[in-house]
Amino acid sequence: MKMRALALLRTFHLRLSRSRRWLFLPVIALCLIPLNTRADGIGGILFLFHTITSTLQGPIGGALNEMRKVSAEVNDFRQQIIWPLAMINQARGFVSATRARYTGLMSQIAGIKNNSATLALPIQFESMFRGAQSGSIGQIPSIYTQVYQPVALAGIAQPGQRNLMDIDDAISMDSLKTAMVSDQTTQSMLTLADSLEQQAVAAAPGSASMVAAQACVADLETQAQLTKMLAAQLRQEATKLAHQNALLKQRSVATQNLQNQIQQVLAHP
Amino acid sequence: MSRPTLFGLWKLLRSVMVAVCGLAIVVGLLPSKARSQLGLDPCCAIMSAGLNSISGLLRGAVALPLGSIQQNQQQSANFEQQVVFPLPAITQARNMALQFQSQFVQMRQLFQLPISSATLRTPQLLEQSLLSGNPGAMPQITSSYSALYGTVMPPANAPQPVRNMVDMTDAEAQAAMKKAVEIDALANLELQAAEQINQQLQTAAPGSSTILEAETAAWLVRANAYTQSAMAELVRVRSIELANSSDQVKFSASHTAALQSTGNQVLQQGVR
Repeated sequence: MKMRALALLRTFHLRLSRSRRWLFLPVIALCLIPLNTRADGIGGILFLFHTITSTLQGPIGGALNEMRKVSAEVNDFRQQIIWPLAMINQARGFVSATRARYTGLMSQIAGIKNNSATLALPIQFESMFRGAQSGSIGQIPSIYTQVYQPVALAGIAQPGQRNLMDIDDAISMDSLKTAMVSDQTTQSMLTLADSLEQQAVAAAPGSASMVAAQACVADLETQAQLTKMLAAQLRQEATKLAHQNALLKQRSVATQNLQNQIQQVLAHP
Repeated sequence: MSRPTLFGLWKLLRSVMVAVCGLAIVVGLLPSKARSQLGLDPCCAIMSAGLNSISGLLRGAVALPLGSIQQNQQQSANFEQQVVFPLPAITQARNMALQFQSQFVQMRQLFQLPISSATLRTPQLLEQSLLSGNPGAMPQITSSYSALYGTVMPPANAPQPVRNMVDMTDAEAQAAMKKAVEIDALANLELQAAEQINQQLQTAAPGSSTILEAETAAWLVRANAYTQSAMAELVRVRSIELANSSDQVKFSASHTAALQSTGNQVLQQGVR
């Protein structure tokens, strides 16, 4: 019995000696991990963090701050220098005030009647060609003929003279008709100008360029119409000049005829 | 118990004590909280601190300026949409161009109304050419003019200075008539261009309207130039008219002198 107990104890001791070896294995393993490897990993991470934070603070943060400043400055510049709301409203107010001040006055001045004829036919004629109604154009020849007489009949005047009378009358009437049309379009242009001004009151800086372009187009229309009036004036002046010249030619022929007749009289006493 | 037994028991106890102490040392050396393996716990702490720092920087140095920029841009966009380029004002301007179009067409049609008034054949031909607004009809003006106003008198009928004056006057009168036809045609083209530009304006944007404005301005300059050339023609007509008046006075003076001379001769013959 005693011997068996001692053998058991010896076996246990041997087993314990083997376990002790196992116990030291983790300790040795821990000691075998190189300390410099751990140090190197931490240093790298620290360096990486430093790089990231310095990049965030420097290039990115700095640039973003600059962008923020520039964005704010641009915004302020637009709102305070280029398109300040107060100035926009002031300009609109100015347009309204100008409109209120001048529109009525100008309308009154333009509406003054210049008719000055005193006799029945001239009064009728004058009111017609100052009426700015293109619908009355057809009535012009008849009333013109009543006021200025028709072209002389063939037996009363020579063909050359009759032609002169007719072309003078024609150009005169043409010009009066053109003036009537022009007066009517002038009224339309004034209405357009009024619309443009109304638009200017309600326009925004962005839409004002569209209104300005519209005004430019209307200006071009007016210019074209003015050119047409100038063409009518040129026709008038040219006809007048041609008329004077034709008279000179007729006088020359008449003088020549007179000279021939005098010579004939002197030749036969 | 015998001494060897006690000794063996003591050795066993000692071995157990050593094992327990060794284990305690190992356990003591290990971290109390296992956050990672292989002893990287200090790195985790550093990483945590670094990430916290980065997060703070992202909030402060990046997110804050970006938010401010976004706010500025939003404000700017609102300002542009509500104050500078409000859509209702743009639409209103386009609608005005639409209204103007009918007015322009109406005005153009008014200027196309027939206004001819001559009643005799020869004046009718000249008037037709004059009002045609067709530059192709210019050669007909010369023939119609000659038919109506005559040509320069033959040398036997008038002295050369008179013939010169007459020819010059005819030339200027015809030139003025041709110029009238020319600028009528140009004015028609200007009216067409104005209508076309106006059509463009009906669909224009604030950004493109300035281009159309520039185009219209160019047309205006052109129109002014043509008007100026017509004005020059008018000045020439008046100049020729003035020159004719002057020439008439000169002829009268010359005739008076000749008459005086002839009268003196007749009187002298009568005295004898």
